[in-house]
Amino acid sequence: MKAQEKSYVYLNGKVIGFVEDPISFVNEVRKTRRKGLISGEVNVAFMEKLNTININTDRGRIRKPYIIVENGSSKLTEDMLAKIKSKEINFTYLIRNGIIEYLDAEEEENALIALSEKDITKDVTHLEMDLVSVFGFTVSTSPFPEHNSLARHTMLANFIKQSEGLYSSNFNIRFDSRSYILYYPQVPIVSTSAYRAAGIKSHPSGQNLVVALSTYYGYNMSDAVVINKASVDRGMGRSMFYKSYSDEERRYPGGQKDRFRIPPPTAEGYMGEHVYSKLSEDGIIEPEMEVKEGDVLIGKVAPPRFLEENIGAGGLEEKTREDSTMLKTGEEGVVDSIIVTESTGATRIVKIRVRSLRVPEKGDKFASRHGQKGVVALIANQADMPFTESGIVPDLLLNPHSIPTRLTFGHLLEMLAGKAGSLNGKKIDGTGFITEGKARMKEYGDVLKRYGFDEFGDETLYDGITGREFKAKIFTGVVYYNRLYHMVSNKMQVRGRGKVQILTHQPTEGKARQGALRFGEMERDALIGHGATLLLKERLLDQSDKTEVLVCKSCGSMGYYDYIKRMPVCPICTNGDLVGVELSYAFKVLLDEIKSLHILPKVRLKE
Amino acid sequence: MAKKSNNYNVQYGEPVGMIAAQSVGEPGTQMILRLFHFAGIEATVTTSGLPRLAELVDAKKRPTTPITYVYIEDGAKKDFEKVEAIAKKINEVKMQNIVRRFVENFPKKRIKFFLNSQELEAAGLTSKQIASKIEKLFEVEAEADEDAVTVRLQTTNMKIIRNTGVRMMRSVISGIEGVGKAIIQQDKKTGEYFIIATGNNLGAIMDVAGVDKYRLYTNDVFAMYKQFGIESARYTLAKELMHTLSEQSITVDHRHLLLIADAMTSSGTIKGIGRHGLSGQKNSVLARAAYEETVKHLINAAAFGEIDPMSGVTENILVGKLIPLGTGSVKLAMKSGDTSKVKKNK
Repeated sequence: MKAQEKSYVYLNGKVIGFVEDPISFVNEVRKTRRKGLISGEVNVAFMEKLNTININTDRGRIRKPYIIVENGSSKLTEDMLAKIKSKEINFTYLIRNGIIEYLDAEEEENALIALSEKDITKDVTHLEMDLVSVFGFTVSTSPFPEHNSLARHTMLANFIKQSEGLYSSNFNIRFDSRSYILYYPQVPIVSTSAYRAAGIKSHPSGQNLVVALSTYYGYNMSDAVVINKASVDRGMGRSMFYKSYSDEERRYPGGQKDRFRIPPPTAEGYMGEHVYSKLSEDGIIEPEMEVKEGDVLIGKVAPPRFLEENIGAGGLEEKTREDSTMLKTGEEGVVDSIIVTESTGATRIVKIRVRSLRVPEKGDKFASRHGQKGVVALIANQADMPFTESGIVPDLLLNPHSIPTRLTFGHLLEMLAGKAGSLNGKKIDGTGFITEGKARMKEYGDVLKRYGFDEFGDETLYDGITGREFKAKIFTGVVYYNRLYHMVSNKMQVRGRGKVQILTHQPTEGKARQGALRFGEMERDALIGHGATLLLKERLLDQSDKTEVLVCKSCGSMGYYDYIKRMPVCPICTNGDLVGVELSYAFKVLLDEIKSLHILPKVRLKE
Repeated sequence: MAKKSNNYNVQYGEPVGMIAAQSVGEPGTQMILRLFHFAGIEATVTTSGLPRLAELVDAKKRPTTPITYVYIEDGAKKDFEKVEAIAKKINEVKMQNIVRRFVENFPKKRIKFFLNSQELEAAGLTSKQIASKIEKLFEVEAEADEDAVTVRLQTTNMKIIRNTGVRMMRSVISGIEGVGKAIIQQDKKTGEYFIIATGNNLGAIMDVAGVDKYRLYTNDVFAMYKQFGIESARYTLAKELMHTLSEQSITVDHRHLLLIADAMTSSGTIKGIGRHGLSGQKNSVLARAAYEETVKHLINAAAFGEIDPMSGVTENILVGKLIPLGTGSVKLAMKSGDTSKVKKNK
């Protein structure tokens, strides 16, 4: 037999030899693994197209357990299931005895996996342990996943990551740079087996809200939501925002170091007594002190940037530079806690955590576990909200248009299930694929009927403003909502006039620098396209980096005004015949830079 | 009527170039990158969408898929058989297309080509024709059997025999070099037949009897320019732009595309839009420096003492002046208080 006709055998990516009969070889390896003669972490796969065998034993492979199927029957028998229930055997036993094995991505290519026991045919090699396990962690915690569109699952996974809750029970002693804690987190009424198994019950991240699928005077158009003011006052969606600031007493070459203290008025860049008024004697702010934008949290002085000769001479006070930590623009709150500690480099470190309350307001973001996000557009008074016959006022009004086009029917089912669960006081299992939708509808409908509600969840609503009955019955239920950490109060920013960049004299960009929004190239093109020349000039010059430069009439170079001689001066000519020219400062910089390259640009003037 | 049509004229100072650029650029963002669709016959598959648009606008010397449309003169255009005959004349057939394999016999100084009879029939050739063609091309003796051609050579040098064999395989037996896959199609409206072929050897196709020289067309802008001149290239460019866009069901006013084609061909040659074309040949140093290769332009300007006339848009924005367009294109004829231009009544 020629070498080409044999199969290559790769061990962790390296060729170790050839095999004549790849299939029986692979089977033999698997057999010994199931017997427990070689490690269960070994995975072997035969790649038919490449005629190679890949044996992987290295780390970093994602592996998933499957029940082994042999000769058309699952190796996990009823007998064993009973033994598991009576705790005679456990999961490890099943792995050791070749009933369950882990497959990696490559070996999975060789397997034919049945989704349920009734799908098993003679070719099937493995059986899925649970249908939901085809999803990842986040998606499998969402209820009724089989009723939602796949695209919504990717969104939902993102939203759950962004939700506020009780992310860690030791949050009070942690100094995360940013963290959010929900005031009254609730365990969802409708949860899944994965949710319970992962134990996130002790770290919930949302609240069960009464939701009506109703419009409300146009306030919940295109993904906006209306929330109930009374619910907000009772603590719905209320959270705390923690932000940590820290600073360090750095050491510099030459024996100098930073010092935490209230900067002396002699320090370079001293900002005035009132700025430091909240600091205690050690230069660090006190706990429970209310702070607002621009307040100094940690007073610090640093050695001057450039060494000067007269240091130490005359015994004068050391020259210092102000280098305090201030609260960032647009922020306010209360100093929550402070730690003073030492780094590994034996320098002092101060960490300060500032807390501020985040009550839901217009512009804050909420999302359910079905990829349905919405921004609060109105916080309506409870009296103005629609109410049901029994006097229930919804916490949140979701626009019914957001359901059909997005194919998130799981949302509707959760509303129904949540309603049933809150009526009979039982948790509801929303794990995917366990029953059919119709059976679920019936199950929850029966509960609703028993408590005197409409079996489909519809209710007669009355408008809180007019008192009139809504013509249509409104679908009302209970849904688990997450508050997402995108909040206006952290993002809002305005600017009229303000800071400019030093180099170009153009306005700064970005919230942290109180910047403006960029009037970019495409915006420029639009104005050109309209022929709006004067508006374009206003944007790009008058409201940006306009400067007046003196230009020599005879030689065309830029000059300056000599305030002592009280006359304009040209650096080349002597006649002083200069004229003021309006220029963009960026262009002046360009001319200066060209000059620095020993090229003399000249400005020719008309008239 | 004339008055009414004048109302629709573009007004003075209208930034037509910018509007044309935006009108093509905006829908261009919606085009799916590298979308191929294989509707129709194999030969008519062309690059389409964004890659084709880029090809046209950048004035690429050779398009990736050149295609020639050959129309037939009045007499024969509705006669399928005559058209088919012309198609066979045009379609390039290489030796390697019809030869199954060839065997060299070095001691007997012979090369024997075994022909593929199906291919032979499709090309409308006989082994005798091939033998005589090879005799003519290579000045050798060739014998024709039923399904083979034997060539006699003068030398026993193995290298020469092998080389001639390979060269013969590559030689064009019939048709026009560079023109392949000629396919006949019927115009549904007029019922006339025409030929679609890959390649762009316009000069040779024109010489084929029966071809309508006045309607010969290819999607290769440069081939059209070489054969028919700049006006034809301008038309081709605009037509191809229009075609590429409408193929993606994007409707752009044809005047925008004509403007682009005009701008690209106004110098008498085809210039692309970009560093080596229109943008790189702007009048203003500052505008060129602002676009690409800033340092190169500034250094050259300094070395040659260039003067920026400040007549374009970019340079005026850069400096902070009003741009000479739209509302900025009008100026006062007279300053207040300046009476020197006023005609005095005596």
